[in-house]
Parts: sequence; C-alpha cells; structure tokens
Amino acid sequence: MAEILIHAKELWCSYEEDDRRVPVLRGISLDIARGEYVAILGHNGSGKSTFAKLLNGILEPEAGELVVAGTNLASPDLTDDDIYALRREVGMVFQNPDNQLVATIVEEDVAFGPENLGVPSAEIRRRVDDALATVGMSDYAGHEPHRLSGGQKQRVAIAGLIAMMPSCMIFDESTAMLDPAGRREVIETFEKLNREQGITVLTITHYMNEAARADRVIVIDDGKILADGTPHEIFADPGRLIAAGLDVPQCTSLIHALRAEGVALEGEPITPEECADLLCRALEGKKHG
Amino acid sequence: MAELALENITYVYGERTPFEIKALDDVSLTVREGSVTGIIGHTGSGKSTLVQLLNGLERPTSGRVLLDGKDIWEKPKEIKKIRFRVGLVMQYPEYQLFEETIRADIAFGPKNMGLSEEEINHRVKEATEFVGLDPILLDKSPFDLSGGQKRRAAIAGVMAMRPEILVLDEPAAGLDPRGRDIILKGIRDYGKKTGSTVIIVSHSMEDMATYCDDIIVMSHGKVYLSGTRDEVFAHAGKLTEVGLDVPQITRLALLLEERGIPLPHGIYTVDAALDALRSLFR
Repeated sequence: MAEILIHAKELWCSYEEDDRRVPVLRGISLDIARGEYVAILGHNGSGKSTFAKLLNGILEPEAGELVVAGTNLASPDLTDDDIYALRREVGMVFQNPDNQLVATIVEEDVAFGPENLGVPSAEIRRRVDDALATVGMSDYAGHEPHRLSGGQKQRVAIAGLIAMMPSCMIFDESTAMLDPAGRREVIETFEKLNREQGITVLTITHYMNEAARADRVIVIDDGKILADGTPHEIFADPGRLIAAGLDVPQCTSLIHALRAEGVALEGEPITPEECADLLCRALEGKKHG
Repeated sequence: MAELALENITYVYGERTPFEIKALDDVSLTVREGSVTGIIGHTGSGKSTLVQLLNGLERPTSGRVLLDGKDIWEKPKEIKKIRFRVGLVMQYPEYQLFEETIRADIAFGPKNMGLSEEEINHRVKEATEFVGLDPILLDKSPFDLSGGQKRRAAIAGVMAMRPEILVLDEPAAGLDPRGRDIILKGIRDYGKKTGSTVIIVSHSMEDMATYCDDIIVMSHGKVYLSGTRDEVFAHAGKLTEVGLDVPQITRLALLLEERGIPLPHGIYTVDAALDALRSLFR
C-alpha cells in the first residue's frame, strides 16, 4: 500500500444558521493514498465541497481526525504557518475561471505563488516555464488572462498551482463553467499530472462521464459516504445513485434497462466502447446460440 | 405568442480597433413560435452575443431582429418595452437577486409592468410552481437559500413577467443531475403551458436531446446546422467536426453501426437506443 496522503476518521463539520449548528459532514472516514485519481460525487448540498475545503484548511473540522500530508488539521495546536505549509502541498482549483487569476500577464500570475514563498528568481523562471509547458500554455506566457477562453484560464490557474510544486490537487467543479472542448483540456491536463508526475488528483464533479474516468469514485450523500469503489462498482447500482440525486452514464442506463427486460448481459460497461463490445458479443452469441 | 427572426445579423466587437472580432457574421434564422429551441456551440461561437441581441441588450452592427415581423430597433427609445416581451435569464442569475425576500424578488418584474396586486400575486405563485420552488421559501431572504434554490427563484422572476419569448443562457450550469432535470423540465412546462417560445443556450447535447424541439448549432459566428432535433442529430458526424460532443448514447450507436449492427439513424436518447436494440435481441 502506498503512503497515505489523506486520512479522515469520523470527521464532522457544521455551519451556523440562526444560532443553530447545522451539520454538513456527519462522520466521514476514508484514506486516500499518494498518487490516487479520485472523483467525488454528490448532489448540491451533499457536503462534498465542504469536505474539499477541509483538506487545505479553508474550513476547520468540528470533530474527528483529519491528517493531510502529515499535517494534523484537527490538532488544537495547529498554527497559521502549518496551514500555509499545507496549502503548498494541497492546491485547489475552483469553479469560476474569472476569479482565480490575479495578475495582468499570464506568466506573472503563475509566478505569484512561488514569489510569495520567497523562491529565488532564477528558480521562479524555471518553475513558471515548466508549469506553462505542462499545461500547454507556453505560447500564452505574455498574454493578458482576460483574453483567454475559460479552459485556458483554468489551465493557467493549474499552472499557478504546479509552480508551488504540490503533491495533491483538488478540482472543485473546475469544469462546470466550461464548454466541452474546455472541459476536455482541463481533464486531460490533470490526468497527465496524475500519470506523469504522480500528483494525487481529487475531482469534484456533477458529470458522471467525468467520474467514470477516475480510478476511484466516492459518493457523498447527506454528509456521509454512500459508496466508495471503482467506477464499475459504483455505476453497477443505478438505483442507489439516482436516489442520491445523481445519475449514471447513458450507456450504463441502457444496459440495465435491457437486462431488466430479460436480455442476458454480463458486465458493467460505462464507456461507449465497453458497451459496444458487450452488445456485439451478446448479439454474436445469440446468432450462434 | 410571437415569432422571432433574425435577418442578416452581423455583430462586431471593438470595431476599428486592433481587437476587432466579428462575433456574428450574416446570421439569418427563424425561431418557431411556441417551440423550445436549443442553441449550442463552443466558447466564442457567438451564441451568447446572439441571445443578448434578442431582447435589445445589444444592438446589431447590421441586420434586423424581427419580433412579429417588426424590427425591435425601429423606435430605439421604446426598446425597454421589448424586454417585457422577450425575457432574458443570464448565466448564473442567482447572483442578481437583490430584494429582501424571494417573494419580493420574483414580484419585482411584474410590479415594474404596473400590474395589479392581485395579478402580481397570481404571477408569483404560478412562476414558483413552474420552477418547482417550495412556497415556504418565498418569505425567506435569498441568503437563506441554496445555490440551486436561488437559481430557480431568479428564473421564476423572469417567468413572472410572462414573456412571450423566454431566453435562458446556460440555465442548468453547475447543478447536480436532479436539480438540472427539475429546472429544464420547469422551463419546458412554462413554454408548453403558456404557449411562449423558449430559447435555451447550453453546452450539454444530452440536455438538448431531452428537452428541445428544435436545435440551432453555432460555429465561428455562423449558423452551422439547424432544424428539428431529429434532423440535427442525424448529422452526428458533423457535430463532432466542430468540436461539439454528441450524447454518449449517440456515440454508442455510431460505434455499433461501424461494426455492422443495423440501427436506425439519429439515436440520441436512452429510450431510442433501447427500442432499437430490443428488436435485435428478440
């Protein structure tokens, strides 16, 4: 087993409303290893974003254990310096591409993080160049961020995190405001970071097809973990997901509907390719059978 | 009831500057009266510019926007009247709620139209029902509502003016699958029950396939494809050429076709695929 990067046990978190405490997370327990590619699903208000915001110290846990990259976030002795150190390890990309960039030139925006860490300027230059190359935005180094497309802005935001050299990146619905092409750019960028640099990726999404690409899917419902497994395991139970306000990929729905009508189909395809394979095999078998 | 048409519309941003961009290039189209029409296209295709022309928020560089055959810019001083007839819901409208209660926010439009108290109350109730908002929430502050509830309230505020043409830019962006279905179904109901024309801008082909009668595909400032849903989805290959996704189930149908499995053309919903495959397995 690889080293544990995120450890949560019986994690609780609440917010205050009219002097009442309303629990959002109600006992989350999980471990995520370094290098994993995890999708987190849940309806609006399920607690999934709250969970993400606990991971880099934007919110504080109310009870339970939470250790991220060696930092104990539930410790009463936690200092601001500890949280700043953690945020170098765990970077976060948010939903709106228009309010994450701070500088007027792309490369200055990417340099913003390392500059604040006091990194020597030659090293900053190297990190900025590498980060822009990684997200495929080198040609735009001297451009103004507001003239970029949504997908390009999100990739610049990702480059800004890479320049801090984090070990984990969290994408909180970072593709929600993008068109299909922009969405693809962002997904391919973080999948490459995961594959080639071993960066742990957590992606929070409402797109089932996006979740199907991850190695592991965690479903949060009503502040608790409803399911945790491979995409094939998770999407094998459409009823459970629909009851949680979610959905399954269209191909999965089709296979389950055919099966409900008595067609013998084995396996849990989630991509069109897997689904076509399964249907072709079944039709072939029927011809010979 | 009103017919909406665009006639040779061109729109140029930053005219005579180094940043001049032609967002719309000689676009002509007619939106069928009483239809739910989807407009789809990637970022920069011109679709958001197009919707801002429909209610006179922007004025075309050249060409005419015709409402019931009349140019909406005929009397520029009366353009505000057009906005009661063509209601526009912008992206992320929940950030535009400003009243102290949800009820007051939904009533704001009808009040400005000078309607009677009784009629305003009726409109608020009706719009609340269309978007599936719990009436208990009407007397709460927008701050007490979730993002999805605020989105519904903002859309209800435009519906309460009962525009003959309701235009929505990405009404379901960022919502979870259940929230998305509730909103899109409510929008379609509004059109069908009031006889109004509804225009929805979206990135999701799956949503278009489920909720729209007609579809207009924009690319590089021009109309790339348009027609009924069946006609547009029959050209799945042409859609992928301009970087648009087809529904996952349509990709499956194309893959099966490549492998020699005979399927009817234009499969874009799970039900259609189920019908086609059911007969093959019989």
